Amino acid sequence: MKAALRHLKRHKGRSLLTLLAVLIPVYTLVFMFGFASANLQDMFETATRLESGHFQVRGVSEHETVSTLPLIDDTSDVLSALDSTDGVEWHTVRLDVPALASVGDRSETILVQGVEPDTVARITPIETLIVDGEYLTSGENGAVLGQGLADLLDVRVGGEIVLLGVHPDAAMGVIKVPVVGIYEAPDESMERSLIQVDLSSARSLVRRPTAATAILCMVEDVAGPWDVDKIDAVTAALTAQLPDGFEIVDWRELAPLVLTYMNIMRPVLFIFAASFFVLGALVVANTLYLSVMERTRELGLILALGASRARVMRMILIEAGLITAAGATYGALLGVVLMWIVEAFGGIPLPTRFAEMFRSLGLSGEIHLSVRAGDVVISAAIMAGVALLAALIPAWRAARFEPVEAMRYVE
Amino acid sequence: MSNSTILRSINLQKVYRAGTLETPALRGVDFELHKREFTAVAGPSGSGKSTLLHLLGGLDRPTGGEIYLQDTPLAGLTKDELAHLRLTQIGFVFQAYNLIPVLTVLENTAFVLELQGIVRSERIARAKKILSELGIAEYANQFPNRISGGQQQRVAVARAVVSEPSIVLADEPTANLDTATSLDLIDLMRRLNEERGATFFFATHDNRLLDRVSRLVTLIDGEIADDRTQ
Repeated sequence: MKAALRHLKRHKGRSLLTLLAVLIPVYTLVFMFGFASANLQDMFETATRLESGHFQVRGVSEHETVSTLPLIDDTSDVLSALDSTDGVEWHTVRLDVPALASVGDRSETILVQGVEPDTVARITPIETLIVDGEYLTSGENGAVLGQGLADLLDVRVGGEIVLLGVHPDAAMGVIKVPVVGIYEAPDESMERSLIQVDLSSARSLVRRPTAATAILCMVEDVAGPWDVDKIDAVTAALTAQLPDGFEIVDWRELAPLVLTYMNIMRPVLFIFAASFFVLGALVVANTLYLSVMERTRELGLILALGASRARVMRMILIEAGLITAAGATYGALLGVVLMWIVEAFGGIPLPTRFAEMFRSLGLSGEIHLSVRAGDVVISAAIMAGVALLAALIPAWRAARFEPVEAMRYVE
Repeated sequence: MSNSTILRSINLQKVYRAGTLETPALRGVDFELHKREFTAVAGPSGSGKSTLLHLLGGLDRPTGGEIYLQDTPLAGLTKDELAHLRLTQIGFVFQAYNLIPVLTVLENTAFVLELQGIVRSERIARAKKILSELGIAEYANQFPNRISGGQQQRVAVARAVVSEPSIVLADEPTANLDTATSLDLIDLMRRLNEERGATFFFATHDNRLLDRVSRLVTLIDGEIADDRTQ
């Protein structure tokens, strides 16, 4: 070990090159994983938190409808099943009703979303997007609508909207609701087409006092799409308890973009990682091979004195192990530290065009980096392992030297 | 083979081949080396001295003939078995590049003991003892590039005898040394031969050293031309 360290110290330039051959791929991969992982997490959270939940319980439709969820007459059995299922962290009832919104002589086709204001804040961004007035209060008649729709209907906070519910599973209902808040959303179409009201108001629109279209659920301890096993376990347990006429729709269907992104990112990351690993390993093998050739006479002497070939191989591999372990460790640390620095400055701002595109997808306008410890350790370990495998070539070469020929070797 | 015979070669031959070109280096050497002998093999360049040492030391394989170290025939040994035999039975001193540059004098001296698996405290104690005996203890913590060529060869001799091998083979150990240093080194080897009973067999083409040996083997064109005790 001491000799290996001295060898590395003696050839500082070459040792540094070997170190960098391991360090650069590791730190680049950690950084890249940080970027991809954070984007994926952001996208997953945005999709599940702001729209869909981790899964929803819905009624099974007797007839196909394009855009309207079938009406559930009574949610009590589903809520009981949810309460008795382990791992369900939270749920809220929602009633989506296609409707016509009118103010005076102006009308727009919109979607009325009946929500439970006390619990829904967890899963909707609208409360945080209010720019005028306030959010809904549970049990009180009121509506919040987007700035775009408010402009189209020419209505402000304090004004009134007439809603005509046209759900295909129910009779038409009409309600008049006061505008209590106006929100601004990054998604323009959402701002122009979505009105939220208290659940009881929405139920009046379909003239059914216990109706709903979905129960949105979140599962405990799910930090990102890598925790989908937990969601699957809960939905499997719940399926066994659900009465007939209900189905579970999970995030894969509710947020297909996340799944698509994951399916694209995985092979891309794999190809990048594999390329980095191979390049790093080639450099390590090359520099160690040069080192072995430079030390041919020394290795010949060691063999002549009676060292076994296994011993000589071990010597070279110890050197390779030390330098790759150092490279992998420093690479991982550098990657993590750089990420911390970037995050300390608020992430990497994207150019405006890209920022808008990202925001429209529900993502942040900055690049935020976060990486799981497991990814860091795995990247570093694989790189070190691959580099060590590559070191087997020069180590094997060294062990095959014939002592007499090696001692006669002239560089 | 008598009880005192350590090393014996029978009709030993070595032919170097390069393509179709064959160069005979040894042409049937019959030879015995006995315990406690201080023997030199002399002869002009190309006479086969180094080849003979390499074959006897198990560093190379003969084209024909047999070698016995103690009673062990070298011909049947694998590379690893040969390595183990060199490690446990033979001490080597080479003409140049004898020391491992990243190890100190003490570590170089103890290196063979380390390969033998001897515990650190014991190998350090034995290495220090032999360095003291050879008068180079003061260089124990120096690296090879910090000491002279003569001192380096002394360290090589120390390493060769520290494990108390059956025989020490030295291939032109004085070739790169000046006369005074060469004589000092041979005297040192002779002292170890007399005081420790170490058996030495070394190659040289330096006639000034030959009156210090107890037996002189002369090799010419790969054959023993003369073998006399003096």
